[in-house]
Amino acid sequence: MTLPEKIKSIYSELTNLDFSPIGTILIQNDSDGKGDYIKNWSHPDFPQPTDEELA
Amino acid sequence: MASVITATTTSGLTQSADNSGVLQLASGTGNLVTVPSVTGTAMVSGNMPAFSAYMDTNQTITSGTTVKVTLGTEVFDTANCFSSSRFTPNVAGYYQINGKIRASGTNCTASVSIYKNGSQNIIGTYLSATGATVFSVVSTVLYLNGTTDYVELYGYADATVGSPTLQFIAVGNTCEMNGCLVRGA
Repeated sequence: MTLPEKIKSIYSELTNLDFSPIGTILIQNDSDGKGDYIKNWSHPDFPQPTDEELA
Repeated sequence: MASVITATTTSGLTQSADNSGVLQLASGTGNLVTVPSVTGTAMVSGNMPAFSAYMDTNQTITSGTTVKVTLGTEVFDTANCFSSSRFTPNVAGYYQINGKIRASGTNCTASVSIYKNGSQNIIGTYLSATGATVFSVVSTVLYLNGTTDYVELYGYADATVGSPTLQFIAVGNTCEMNGCLVRGA
């Protein structure tokens, strides 16, 4: 399961638009071999999931 | 005609003058610069950094993720300022930067962004398609300090069917970034 999919499994109300450049959640990959990570989270209703929730 | 100041290899500076109002600077090796007739600061083109690079291999990405676009082939890089998909110019000033991506996936949505110093600086077109391919473009002018400032190209895409079918497509150099100095600091 990808990181966006994990987040959506926690908050089922989220859509792709929330992860887009005009959304409030930025999942980023710097193409440096370190993979996807949460670069920015500013969603007004849902707090950022913890590492444990995303594990 | 023009008034000309010449740096000769024998007599040092020489000059010839007329009343044309045009000023030229000449080097002993034959280079000639005519000072432009403009109001304010006139800029003379010299070692003004310019680059163009494109992605040469398809890049598979995770749906819903913003990914640094790997630009593995340089078309030109006049001042050797482009490396590791990053442009770090060595002259301070205002730069025109352009970018484009082509994303492919089922019911794909895509958007390209220019990042300055690791942060999103400007977002390009945000488009969806029921077909397999979406192009997104971005263009801006931004200030770079000529030492530490750099720009990179990032692309976002999502699809109703996620990776590995979601890719940035290299065919036809459809993922690229280019730019040049348009005005000094």
